[in-house]
Amino acid sequence: MDNRPSRHRPVRIRSSRCEPSGQRRLSIREIGGALVRIGLLTEGGYPYVSGDARLWCDRLVRGLEQHEFDIYALSRSERQEDEGWIPLPPQVSRVRTAPLWMAEDTGVVYGRRARRRFAECYGELATVLCSGSGMDASGSSEEPSTSEADRFASTLYGLAELARDEGGLVGALRSEAAVRALERACRAPGAPRTAREARVPDLLTVAAHLESALRPLSLDWYEDDGLGAVDLCHATSGGAAALPGLLAQHFCGVPLLVTEYGVRLRTHYLTATESSPAVRALLTAFHGRLAAEAYGRASIVTPGNAHARRWQERCGADRDKLRTVYPGMDASRFADVGESPECVDPHTLVWVGRVEPAKDLVSLLHAFAEIRKEEPKTRLRIIGAPAGAEGKAYLQHCGALAAQLFPDEADGPHAVGDNPVSFEEIGGPELPTLADAYAAGAVTVLSSVVEGFPINLVEAMLCGRATVSTDVGAVVEVIGGTGLVVPPRNPRALAEACVALLRDTERRERLGAAARARALELFTVEQNITAFHGIYLEIVSRTPVRRVVLDGTGEPLPFASPAEAHVPGGWTGQGLRVVARGGPGWAVGPPVRATAPTAVTKGAS
Amino acid sequence: MSEPGDVAISSGSWDARSEEWLSTGQETRTRPDATHGDEPGARAPDHPSAPHRSSTPRRTAADPVKALMHRHRDLCERAVDPLEIAAGLEAHGVTDRTAARFRHRDVFSLAEEMYARMPRDGETPTPPAPQATSRPRADWVLLTLLPGALCTATVVGLHLTQGRPRLTVAVAGALAVAVALRAALARGPLAPRPDTTAPATAARTWTCWLLAYALLGDGLLRTALAGGPDGLPDGTPNAPWPLAIAPVLALVWACAPAAWSTYAFTARCRRKLTASRGLEDFAASVRPLLLTTFALFLCALAGLLALTSVTLEEPTAYAPTLALGSLLLLARLLTTHRFTHAPAVILTATATAQAMALATVFAARLPGCDVLAVPVQTLADTWGPASVQTLTCGTGALILLLHATRTLTRASAHAPTEEQR
Repeated sequence: MDNRPSRHRPVRIRSSRCEPSGQRRLSIREIGGALVRIGLLTEGGYPYVSGDARLWCDRLVRGLEQHEFDIYALSRSERQEDEGWIPLPPQVSRVRTAPLWMAEDTGVVYGRRARRRFAECYGELATVLCSGSGMDASGSSEEPSTSEADRFASTLYGLAELARDEGGLVGALRSEAAVRALERACRAPGAPRTAREARVPDLLTVAAHLESALRPLSLDWYEDDGLGAVDLCHATSGGAAALPGLLAQHFCGVPLLVTEYGVRLRTHYLTATESSPAVRALLTAFHGRLAAEAYGRASIVTPGNAHARRWQERCGADRDKLRTVYPGMDASRFADVGESPECVDPHTLVWVGRVEPAKDLVSLLHAFAEIRKEEPKTRLRIIGAPAGAEGKAYLQHCGALAAQLFPDEADGPHAVGDNPVSFEEIGGPELPTLADAYAAGAVTVLSSVVEGFPINLVEAMLCGRATVSTDVGAVVEVIGGTGLVVPPRNPRALAEACVALLRDTERRERLGAAARARALELFTVEQNITAFHGIYLEIVSRTPVRRVVLDGTGEPLPFASPAEAHVPGGWTGQGLRVVARGGPGWAVGPPVRATAPTAVTKGAS
Repeated sequence: MSEPGDVAISSGSWDARSEEWLSTGQETRTRPDATHGDEPGARAPDHPSAPHRSSTPRRTAADPVKALMHRHRDLCERAVDPLEIAAGLEAHGVTDRTAARFRHRDVFSLAEEMYARMPRDGETPTPPAPQATSRPRADWVLLTLLPGALCTATVVGLHLTQGRPRLTVAVAGALAVAVALRAALARGPLAPRPDTTAPATAARTWTCWLLAYALLGDGLLRTALAGGPDGLPDGTPNAPWPLAIAPVLALVWACAPAAWSTYAFTARCRRKLTASRGLEDFAASVRPLLLTTFALFLCALAGLLALTSVTLEEPTAYAPTLALGSLLLLARLLTTHRFTHAPAVILTATATAQAMALATVFAARLPGCDVLAVPVQTLADTWGPASVQTLTCGTGALILLLHATRTLTRASAHAPTEEQR
């Protein structure tokens, strides 16, 4: 409810609507009312059935039906393309796809001048890559790092311009000239040790990787009727998806928004462990610089949690540009359970998740042994399917351990007993849905030693359950003060926290209610969509695409797009030809504000 | 030791709660320090959770980071960048709270210390193990022999039959050999790379033409210069338009040595690729390999030709056959290494030149066009009619050989193909 206007940034679109203050808070559909055309850039993602984060993108696109979406999707494999798309809502006006998994060598043969241009650009790129990733020198030597980043950017855009002029870059990136340029850079005097050790196969591997990473440069998306026509580009991940956004900004001045739920650079570090040190050094440098360039050029960067945010800050993202937008969960599935806390079995602990070693169920079982000493009637239900072969083995191990630690027990001498620890899966007759799983217990436990964004914890919060979790990943950030947190690998602390909650019904209920309130405020789909809606409008108002309007003879028309052009509603000047301002390389910086912000605030008041 | 209630406070206003949580969060941060810390002074003496600690034996280490480095030594040795260590540590569950135990602000600075303290000088990189080359597979080895076998069967059939059945045998044999050749070239070392966008049909057409010329061309040229031909060839060596079966049979059999030598060439190139330090080294070591491969193939072809000529009792025409064989081998080698442009051009040019030679001889019969036949006539008078094929194919082969010594010695020609689909 902190809605003091003085702290708001002067957003032209919103404030130019002069409603009385009582009507300010309208529903999502109404606020601003401006139609924004969004170029959604995905890599191996949204419209494909097997895409990453397609659920999130789908909710976003469906949630913002007043806007128009152009989807530019890079597919990751042939199988992914064959599996097709999910059904798209009508606000998606166009989908353009390009394969990242293969390159069509168009057979473009460069002339001498183009060859020289390519050799210059690529040589420069190789030199920049050999000068390190640019992230080792933190603080001490800012200046050289900045100039290196500029050199990287200029080579990147130089290659993109070459690809646009010559109609493709694939053949050149695979050519001997590229490998030679890499070799020269690696053997140069200033190159680091790892680069100097590069052998011929390493050079070939690096060249092949760069070729596949730079495939978006050869696309024909950066025309006035392509990405030049959108108001802003929204890259749904870093890395390859952000590259078209960078080029659209370079060629057409379209502002860029980068959303990362997992930092791509970090994924690269974790996955690329097989190749030789030289290959890793060069490719790491490339991905690091690309990430820094994307963060640097983006108008706004939205990490999905504080962990991603720290990585982005570390990789050079400006703190002012970072807005954490938490992933949204569908709260309606848990509404019934969350709003009826009375049907709780007070002696049951629940663990929900995918069974794998990182979840440290062994520690949970040991903690449960301690709990049983204090509260003998307690039961533990471990609910979840094993993840892969490793998970299966781990589940068996845990089952054996549970059988050893806890003998079967029965209510009386004539009843059939069973083990206080039960391993179950969702979908059976007892637990038909996920919400039932959380409803089965009074306290939800999370015992992981490694965790990213703990979705299971958010689900438990939405169910209004008191939780005890280990202090890993984004747990503390998610739980806030609405649950108990203990150090990882500390069964005794876990046990004590659980016992404290099991004994205190009132505290449990209070914590559960607080957790549900917190989750509903922070982790719902609606907050996610609202946040992105606001960010879209903010970007469009702060860095509008400035298109030069031409008159009949092709001369630029001064004052052809007055301030009213940005006001919601129909604008009559439709018939004029509009071209994006490609412009020379020096004019690439963030566009200048069309009107002074003082005029805007005056209009708002 | 822990009173969990101090971490999550469930009463009071939001602000008070969060502030309180913040302060206790600090306390949480110091707690592991006290438990596992290296020096007793780090522990607050009046900490309320002291009684529990007596039960757990305290680990004392002079240098906790060193122990951590030892635990993650693979990661530290492998890392090319502090961020790589940071990512690896996080994947092992190290958080900023853990890093605080090592007196660091966050994981990044801990990783930087680990990266900086890793001894790096003096170690030499282990030379990469040569990749295990795949054994030649039986399917393509047998397939390369199939065209030769079918061709031999056809020739035997031609000798055994007369009249109309003979024609049937000839047509069926030619078709069978063509299909077998195509199958033999579709897999194994002579197959084009999967990512080659080859203009295959043109090259295939011109290859057929070149083979047809080797079979019929010399006889046609000879009869044409003598004023013929008066009828179609009947397949006998002593007819006015004789067929040169021995060279074609040798060429078809030569599929097998071509495939084997290409296989050896590719395997050795791959080994050189792993071993060489620079691109110049690689080029210098591949050039003799290429020439050796080429020479081996020529020797094999010459041997085959001698064998077939003796068996079929035909005159041995070494020069034109070897020229044609080397042209076809080089064109195929270049095509399999993604250089499709030059072979297509050269094959087209060679076939066109041969067609022109034939055409000029026939065109000279028109009134007033006698001059047209002069070059071919002179050539045939000096070196015999076979010199047309020798000259055209030889020139093409030479150009392709020069091209191949430049292009096939590049490392990028031997780059492993992409497998991700």
